[in-house]
Amino acid sequence: MLKGNGVSTGVGFGNVVILKKIERKIEKKTIQDEQKEQELERVHEALQEVINDTENQLKNITGTEADIMQAYLMIMQDPSLIAETENAIKNSNYNAEYAVEVGFNGVAQIFENMDDKYMASRSRDILDIKNRVLGKLLKEETIDLTKLNPNTIIVAEELTTSETAKLDFNNISGIVTELGGENSHTSIMARTHTIPAITKVKDATKILKNGDSIAINGTSGEIYINPTEEEKQKLLDLEKQLEEEKAELEKYKNQESVTEDGTKVKLYANIGLPSDAKVALNNTAEGVGLLRSEFLYMDSDTMPSEESQFTAYKEVAQIMEGREAIIRTLDIGGDKDLKYLEMEKEANPFLGYRAIRLCLDRPDIFKTQLRAILRASAFGKLAIMFPMISSIDELREAKGVLEECKKELDAEGIEYDKNIQVGIMIEIPSAALIADKLAKECDFFSIGTNDLIQYTVAVERGNEKISKLYTKYHPAVIQLIKKAIDGAHSANIICGMCGEAAGDPTFIPLLVGLGLDEFSMNSNSILRARKTINNLNAEECKKLSEEIMNMSSAKEVEKRLKEFINQK
Amino acid sequence: MVKDKITLTNETGLHARPASELAKLAATFKSTIKLYVNGKTIDAKSILAIMSAGIKYNTEIEIECDGEDEEKALSEIKKGFENNFGE
Repeated sequence: MLKGNGVSTGVGFGNVVILKKIERKIEKKTIQDEQKEQELERVHEALQEVINDTENQLKNITGTEADIMQAYLMIMQDPSLIAETENAIKNSNYNAEYAVEVGFNGVAQIFENMDDKYMASRSRDILDIKNRVLGKLLKEETIDLTKLNPNTIIVAEELTTSETAKLDFNNISGIVTELGGENSHTSIMARTHTIPAITKVKDATKILKNGDSIAINGTSGEIYINPTEEEKQKLLDLEKQLEEEKAELEKYKNQESVTEDGTKVKLYANIGLPSDAKVALNNTAEGVGLLRSEFLYMDSDTMPSEESQFTAYKEVAQIMEGREAIIRTLDIGGDKDLKYLEMEKEANPFLGYRAIRLCLDRPDIFKTQLRAILRASAFGKLAIMFPMISSIDELREAKGVLEECKKELDAEGIEYDKNIQVGIMIEIPSAALIADKLAKECDFFSIGTNDLIQYTVAVERGNEKISKLYTKYHPAVIQLIKKAIDGAHSANIICGMCGEAAGDPTFIPLLVGLGLDEFSMNSNSILRARKTINNLNAEECKKLSEEIMNMSSAKEVEKRLKEFINQK
Repeated sequence: MVKDKITLTNETGLHARPASELAKLAATFKSTIKLYVNGKTIDAKSILAIMSAGIKYNTEIEIECDGEDEEKALSEIKKGFENNFGE
């Protein structure tokens, strides 16, 4: 049995499919004259296969993305693309692989040397085509993530955002990775799609083999290779129990999110991809409290255009049909890197050049996103949220850039929601401490507990050695949460929370007691949270919060909160 | 052989999408179609040639069509440029 960290509950039985990063070696060979024809033929065949794949992909997409792929296809079909490659075979007697390597690099170089940034980044498209052609030449097996066999359990070192975006979730019964924490992209996606997942399984891609029959327990983090009948039965029992709980929660689908004594709150969903908005609605989310816009940036090899962002935000606005959807502006840096931004390595990335700091420094990036959100706001009820605000000046500056964008759109006669709400994340202690001041200059708050905890107790989120110190029950964290809520209410604005803590049934009574207005969480936590809230009494929660505010130790707080919820 | 001059009015230059529209349009004619820009000669049927020429906003382009359908080719390509290839 292997063991890791269970990050998405549930039981999965299936066959292993290993996703491995392919290490590629391009050998340089000198070929005989009579081999030239054959090598040329190989290049043409490989390129044709890539073209056929692209044509097939094109069948499933529409709109801007399709136009871009069409252009991509034309590049592949352009004879001048492989002219240099052909010359390398004909004149230098190179083998097909090496000729493709040098020939395509030459074409990419032409683009790279162009002073127009957009054109310069097209070199990546050429290199991408090169990689695909080489993949065909070397007969590398690529797994089509969009067409998996039923009951597949994906095993990988780590899944990239673009890989997760492609996954055929209907046929996946589990995900196992060697890396990745509870809040990594893969874990969040797995929970959104209710797929059991286990991370931090050492050497999983070496120990497990393609086709192995395994069973995983996403709650305990246990993996059974060729499970015995007894083990299977144990897991089936657990699955049954989980399903019963799920069925029990179904009845909360048509309920209001209100306490016994009539205090109403909003239950929102945190989402990554636009299509997650559908999952959110299926789980009866009343809005989207956090759209992580990073997916658009992480999925792409270049800075996403205003048009592609507009399409994505518009999709969310339309799916939500008038319900609020809060888009967090780019939160990159820290542990999330973008290759094409070429960010410098920093000694303390979490205290460094990230999120709003980067955006204010790069108005080109920031304005592209703000314009896209504004334009999409004409199609639904979108709101804008700035991450990592630590001072009022940053808020004012960010709002200034937003005003500029609005003026530009006015001048261009483009429609947008003139009353679009603008809020901030409260995730830095300095912001929580001046919450009353910040509240006067924005329309809402959303507390980001994951970062707020790490900055308050000075514990890096991913550092295993000190993970015990990372706790939402720390009285200082709770004081800052209270500061943020009280600050918001002093200016009559709404205070929400979009960190993991908002969906934790143990923590919800305290948050209700402190007066939190909006709880935003992973879609599949919503029904459980509604059940918790329906069974609470706001007056009792208020008393509980007063009691908690007087406590001095995290352990004491945790014990009391667990005791409270267990009595319910 | 027929020739004419136009000025590029696409603010973002001839990037991938308009370049592909131009190449697609050019490919519908039997004539050879060349663009003369900044002293360079470009085959208008090659998207790569168009893109790698890096033609910017406000650049003057000379279009030259040579072949049996040269008149029609020239007028259609000019029209394409005037409409910024649907941008």
